[in-house]
Amino acid sequence: MNEETLLVKLGPLMITSTVVTTWVIMGLIWICSWLITRKLRIDPGPLQSATEGIVSSIEAAVAAVDAQHAQKIMPFIGSLWIFLVIANLSSLIPGIHAPTRDLSATSALAIVVFFSTHWFGIRIQGLKEYLRHFLSPSPILLPFNLISEITRTVALAVRLFGNMMSLEMAALLILLVAGFLAPIPIMMLHIVEALVQAYIFGMLALIYVAGGIQSHKLREKKQGDSHA
Amino acid sequence: MELNWSTFLLEIINFLALIWILKHFLYKPVLDVIARRRAGIEDLLAKAQHLHDEADTLKAEYENRLIDWEQERQQARENLGQELNEERARQMETLQTLLAQEREKVQAAESRQRAKSARAIESKALQQSAQFATHLLTQAVGPELEERLFDLLVSNLSNLSADKVTVLSRQWGKLPEGITIASAYPLTDERKNKLEKTLAGLSGRYFSIQYKQDPSLLAGLNVTIGDWVLHANIRDELKGFTEFAYAAD
Repeated sequence: MNEETLLVKLGPLMITSTVVTTWVIMGLIWICSWLITRKLRIDPGPLQSATEGIVSSIEAAVAAVDAQHAQKIMPFIGSLWIFLVIANLSSLIPGIHAPTRDLSATSALAIVVFFSTHWFGIRIQGLKEYLRHFLSPSPILLPFNLISEITRTVALAVRLFGNMMSLEMAALLILLVAGFLAPIPIMMLHIVEALVQAYIFGMLALIYVAGGIQSHKLREKKQGDSHA
Repeated sequence: MELNWSTFLLEIINFLALIWILKHFLYKPVLDVIARRRAGIEDLLAKAQHLHDEADTLKAEYENRLIDWEQERQQARENLGQELNEERARQMETLQTLLAQEREKVQAAESRQRAKSARAIESKALQQSAQFATHLLTQAVGPELEERLFDLLVSNLSNLSADKVTVLSRQWGKLPEGITIASAYPLTDERKNKLEKTLAGLSGRYFSIQYKQDPSLLAGLNVTIGDWVLHANIRDELKGFTEFAYAAD
């Protein structure tokens, strides 16, 4: 499994196939985005309509969770969804391994989500207000809140990694055992699973970020209710 | 299932770069065009709403104007009806006046016609009575009637008023030639003397009197003193009566 990992070694940096695939995906996304958005019109064509539909759907999904800060959160969550869908589905191409079957990649995404949660929370609420939510509802729960922050990040990384790797392994084993056409149902399941996992990862990231942003609102609401 | 730190760091960098790429090359342009389209649609909706409001306003104005027009029409109809009634009353009054005038004219014409008819009948009766009297007297005359006429003449001449006597004397003074007395029957001397005395009593002098007989007088006398003629006979009386009857025609 590690034979495709290392392609080039530049000093301390090891360029693995995961990184290269990610770059290719990034390049494709960049080129497609540029091609699609270079001649946008008020009266859209089919491709522009589909693109606008995707972006609008992402925006609507984010706004459904946190409408007030949808403009700030949407690029991050949307990038997660777009990248994960393409990355998960890239393994359908023969000879290509999905970056998300690499624990290093999923961990990187999970750690980005981890820091983004704190980043958006501190940026919107301020450091003091944001840190206070770790003490709620009781300071006694501070260790549990901290453990929760870490475990959910690890779970985020491992869930995606485990699902994608297991799907590839299953398809590979069935291919080895049953021959040429037998893995096709598994590959169709792979498509569904890739979309579901991308959605779950992005939605969980959205919930974590929105939870960090809106924690002070819940507190203010509780205080308002107690005063009333 | 190893964690490659180099891959881990590169993937973090890659994803942050991807966020930047998508944000600048996908989200921003697409959201901008969506926003422009939304603004255009909102502008169109605002214009449509504005037009709708204007249409509602115009509709309300139109309905108000229709109501005003209906009221004006109703008022005009009432005024017209009132004017027509007044005109009808005036025309009826004029017509009744004309009818009354015509009725009066007709009544006047009828009155004139009746009067004319009455006059015609009266004239006819006069003519017939004149003819009847002429026919009757023509057959009934005789010396007795002449005697009564002679006595009547003498009596009338004797009883003339002073004014008439003065007038006669003044006229007779201009006509001293003579007097002609015609009678239907021969006069006796006694009557001639009586007549001459009467005339002399009127004029204060005697005239030369020429007597003649004229049977056409039927009965009575005809005294001619110059241009002055005194008729006291049936013929001239009937002639005068007949002329009066025809003159009345």
